[in-house]
Parts: sequence; structure tokens; C-alpha cells
Amino acid sequence: MATKEELLQKMSDMVFEMEDEEIADVCEEYIEAGYDALDGILHGLVDGMNRASEMYDQEEYFVTDLLLCSDAMYAGLDVLRPHLPEDASVGEAKKAVIGVVEGDTHDIGKNLVKIMMETAGFEMFDLGRDVPLDSFVEKAKEVDADLIMMSTLMTTTMPGMKEVISKLREQGIRDSIKVMVGGSPISQKYAEDIGADGYSRNAVEAVEVAKRLCGVE
Amino acid sequence: MTTANERLIKILSGMKADRPACICPGGMMNMVTKALQDVCGVYLPEAHTDARMMADLAKAIYDNECFENYGVPFCMTVEAEALGASCTMGTQLFEPHVTGYAIDTVEDYRKLKPMDLEAGRAKVTLDAIRLLKAETKDVPIIGNIVGPVSVASSVCEPTRYYKQMRQKRELTHEYMQFVTDDLIRFALAMIDAGADVIALSDPSGTGEILGPKFFDEYAVTYINQVVDAVEAAGAKMIVHICGQMKSVYDKVAKIHSDAFSFDAVVSLREARKNLPDKVIMGNVSTFAIEMQDEKTVDKLTRSSYANGSDIISPACGLGMGSPLSNVQQVLKTVKTFAE
Repeated sequence: MATKEELLQKMSDMVFEMEDEEIADVCEEYIEAGYDALDGILHGLVDGMNRASEMYDQEEYFVTDLLLCSDAMYAGLDVLRPHLPEDASVGEAKKAVIGVVEGDTHDIGKNLVKIMMETAGFEMFDLGRDVPLDSFVEKAKEVDADLIMMSTLMTTTMPGMKEVISKLREQGIRDSIKVMVGGSPISQKYAEDIGADGYSRNAVEAVEVAKRLCGVE
Repeated sequence: MTTANERLIKILSGMKADRPACICPGGMMNMVTKALQDVCGVYLPEAHTDARMMADLAKAIYDNECFENYGVPFCMTVEAEALGASCTMGTQLFEPHVTGYAIDTVEDYRKLKPMDLEAGRAKVTLDAIRLLKAETKDVPIIGNIVGPVSVASSVCEPTRYYKQMRQKRELTHEYMQFVTDDLIRFALAMIDAGADVIALSDPSGTGEILGPKFFDEYAVTYINQVVDAVEAAGAKMIVHICGQMKSVYDKVAKIHSDAFSFDAVVSLREARKNLPDKVIMGNVSTFAIEMQDEKTVDKLTRSSYANGSDIISPACGLGMGSPLSNVQQVLKTVKTFAE
């Protein structure tokens, strides 16, 4: 029988190598052997996803690769999650509201950021694409979010991000929520000019910035 | 005196002109602003669906000394909508965008019908080009088409599409061929209607998204089919490449296009070095045009020229809130480069 370490390595490898078909079987085998589900997630699935992000950083993996890796990770999560003990909330997860601003429907980048944020342990509230600006503010208040993440791929919808920040200010909650922006026409300079707290060029970097802003680790 | 059309065609043919051209093609490279709509009294979203208004708004850009070209359409959704995706026409400030995909998986592409060029906004665009051709002279008319990967991922749900690109390559190639054949048909109809130049942007098919291997396999292959067809029909071709180029310079060099336009993140000096024999267009920061002042725009325009740009243009679509005086400054500065 495979040891715990062997199975964890196998799960990690399958995520890393985008094998989303057999990974459920390996996760079943892992659970049947009586190993800890949380360890399986963190040291198996998430480990594989982290290895994939390292490759992305080195420009060996690209967006399409990460999407396939995350498919494998989610296929594994579906098996492991029901076996987590009731009280296995991993400390107090930070909450982030994410969406593509009104006027734009390109959401591949946003989806990838969401995946990487979930992998890093954030609780994500995904508003989807073409999101009315008020919805960011409302959702953030409703779930008491630590962070709002907005993206757009179109130059014409960039000003919406600035408006969300003004709305937060009007409601008197700007100081209690961090704001991150991203998307191909956005730059660090633009983020600073509109008064956002953070900007990142890609999904992997987004997690680092989010952690820094929210004081995680 | 050299006309705007002669100048652009000369430059696109690799010849020397009296000074750089200054254009903004339209399509993804949006050149309509709120201020311009107010000046000419023709408004979006109505002009997206009315050939007369589309032509008038395109004329206003030249007449108000923003850029030395006409260009239509003003969005990136004409092809996707004609192939079955649902779109909203947006507002005065928001561009039209796709709201629902025609197919959820690449397999279903066989259910798609080819674009009807005699109906909908494909016809509006072609009619607008006909009006511009009949009513104007000496100013280049640019027809804009959306790149093959961007159309494919606007018609088919994109996450699925990007995955199938590597899982079902043969099928994805069939789909890409179907899309590309239609794009070629649309581009040739534009040339037939009077377009002098075809501009193509493929923002969803970048090296950053696809990686060099798939950029080559899916973007370069099909963009080249469009370029070859356009050039065989006697028109000139501009390809705008979105995003960083570092990983794909050698692949971009394989695109047959007359000219390349680049994003603001790309150093023109570096592009020039990597693509020594190509006509280079770009890349005044649209962010600066929207948020900074005329002095900064003037400086950036001069630096684009100094770094080897043959055709001065914004780096991406203009923001709707860009002040008219900033937009006009680009051309004002370019005019001082006359030899």
C-alpha cells in the first residue's frame, strides 16, 4: 500500500501535470487509507498548484496551463472536502470580494486570481463579470470583507474602479477595506492615481499583494 | 503635398514619407471619446447600429484633428454577434460587450452559421465604409476586425475553449479554421466596400495567455491566413499585439503583416531591435492621454518617434473620458516632425 507521503506526492504531481481524470481516484485511496483530509489538501493539491505558480512565474506555464491545473485541484477538492472535520476552519480566513467591473465581460484573469486566492486560503466572494459598481460596495458590507479586487481588460471601463473607491469613501468604509485592481490596461501608476491600495500584474503576484495588504503571514 | 492616405500607404509599404503618420484605427483601438461625441452631436450606443451615424462619428475624428484616418466599427463585438453570441450595445461610455456565448464547448461549433454580411452590424459596418468611400477622399479608411482567438473565445465559453485548445487540438483547429474563413470573408467585404487598410487586434490570443507554443500554433497561424488574404486583395494590414512580447518576439516576427502596433508595456526600442524589417506603430500611453496633460502627451509622442515608431498612435483604446485637447496633442506634435 502507498504511504501517506507517496500519495501526497502523487496528488501534487497530478495537479502540476494537469491530470484531472485520475486524481479523484488517488484522493479516494488517500481517504480510504485513513489519512488526514486537510493534510491532503494543503500538502497534496495546494502543493501542486503552488508548484504550477512557480512555473508560471518563470514563464514556463501560462494562463491556459494554470486553468487546467486548477481543474485537477478542484476535482481532488471535491473528494477531500467532505472529509474535513466540522471545526476545520483554517484559522480566520480573510474575506475578499472579486469581480470584473461594469461594462466588461472578460473574466479569465479574474477567475485565475480567484483560484489562486482560494488556494492561498482566502474566502472568496465572486460577483462575476459586468458587475454594477454598487454591488462591490454592497457585497463588501454584507460579508464584512477585508479586500475588494476589481479587474478589467478594457480601457473604457477603467474609471469604474475609481468610482467604487469613491463610493467606499462616501459610505465611510474606505479605511476598513483594502482595494486591489488589475487587468491588462491597468498599471501600478494607475492604481496609485485612483487611490487603490494594491496592483498586481498577474494572478500569482496578486496573492502576494493580497497577503501583504491583509497582514497574512 | 502628401495626403494622409498617400502618407500612410507609403509608410505601410516600407517607403519613406515626409513625416510619421498619426492614426488610431478604431475597433479595439477605440478613438471615440465622450468629448468628441459632444462636439459632433453623434452619440454611442446609437452609432454602433446605424451606418450613417457610424460614418459621421468616424469623420468627426478626422475633422476635429484627432487622427489622420477614418475607422470603423467602434467595438469588438460585430463578428461575435454575427456568429451567435449575445451582446449589449453598452452606453455612451461603455463599449458593447458579449453577455452570452453562442456555444459552451468547441464541439458545438458545427451548429454555428457563418456570418451574414447582409444583415445586422456586419452590414452597418460595410455600409459605413461605403459612405466614407463615397463622401471623402485622401483620408485612409481603416476596417477593423477582431483576431481569430478573440472571436473564437467570444463565441465559445472561454475557459472551456482555452482548455480544449490543448486537450482537443484537432477539433480546435477545425473551429479556428471556421472562424478564420469568416473573418477573411468580412475583411475582403470591407476592402470591397472601400477600406484601404485592415487592422486586426487579438487581445485574448496573447503570448502571455497562451504561451509561445500555442501563440504560434493558434494565433500566428490564423492571423497569417487573414494577412495573406488581405494583402492578396491589395489592401494594407496592421496587426496590433496586446501585452508583453518578451516570450514571443520570434513568433511575432513570423506574422506577415505590413505593420505591427504594440501595447504601452512594450519598449519600442526593443521591438525595433527584434523586428528590424517591420513597420512599427505605437505607442503613446492611453493612460497618459486620459489622465495627464498636453505637455506629458507631447513628451510621450516625441519619445515614441525617437524610439523608432513609423506610425504614431495610442498604445491601446482611448479612455472615453480623455480630454479632446490631450487627444489632439498627439497629432499636433507629430506635425512638427515634418522634414
